[in-house]
Amino acid sequence: MEGLLFWFCGGMLLLGGVMMVLQRSAVVSAVWLVFAFISAAGIFAVLGGPFLAVMQVLVYAGAIMVLFLFVIMMLQGPVLEGERRLMPAGLWPLVAVPPVAVLVLIIGYLRSDATVAFAASPPAGFGTVESVAGLLLGRYLLAFELISIVLLVALIGALALGRGERKLPWK
Amino acid sequence: MEITLTHYLVLAGLVFITGMVGFVVRRNALVMMMCIELMLCATNIVFAAFARLHGDGGGHVFVLMNFAVAASEAAIGLAILVEIYRRRRTVNVDDLKTLME
Repeated sequence: MEGLLFWFCGGMLLLGGVMMVLQRSAVVSAVWLVFAFISAAGIFAVLGGPFLAVMQVLVYAGAIMVLFLFVIMMLQGPVLEGERRLMPAGLWPLVAVPPVAVLVLIIGYLRSDATVAFAASPPAGFGTVESVAGLLLGRYLLAFELISIVLLVALIGALALGRGERKLPWK
Repeated sequence: MEITLTHYLVLAGLVFITGMVGFVVRRNALVMMMCIELMLCATNIVFAAFARLHGDGGGHVFVLMNFAVAASEAAIGLAILVEIYRRRRTVNVDDLKTLME
């Protein structure tokens, strides 16, 4: 059952990612990316993280992609037309180098039989809201506080950028 | 066939490559940002897979941190893109090379 879900969600995730890159229209790309993120939520669920799966759908497929779609709809015209031209042809071999290198590494790793199996079942309470919250407000409290400052700075920065030509209050 | 850690790492590697190639190939700044999100998603899968391997929830906590970083990045990046569009009427990165010329 786990294997079936893994192959299904993993295939859908890869399909969504590849289709996002191949589509010329930004809107269609965004919809394929939502598809890929929902499949990634399935991967998290298979990995024993129900809370992560829910947050993936809420934060990524919900909030972030809605933000992207709003911006695409604000910037009418050139964005919706798709791209006029691709990158120069001479750069294609350079683009291909890192993916080919990583693929060679993956194939070499698969051929070495160095697979690492998971424990038969995760420990009790693994990945539930309770256990994640306990870690977040216990062992990782400092990181939690710091990430809240990052979010605050991002909020203020987005507001300051979004004000446009108007004067900022401290100027 | 049993699903091992290797399967998840290979999947995350392939997703990351997809995002990386897309980032270089696409010329639309918005789609380039979506490719960054895809790469972040691949790292999240690695975090979750290792959390499952060690039976430790710390990986899940850092996936949540990654969500917050991705949200901040999207908010700031899209605000910058909107500002660029207001001034230059384009988000095609080929048209945005004032510094290069």
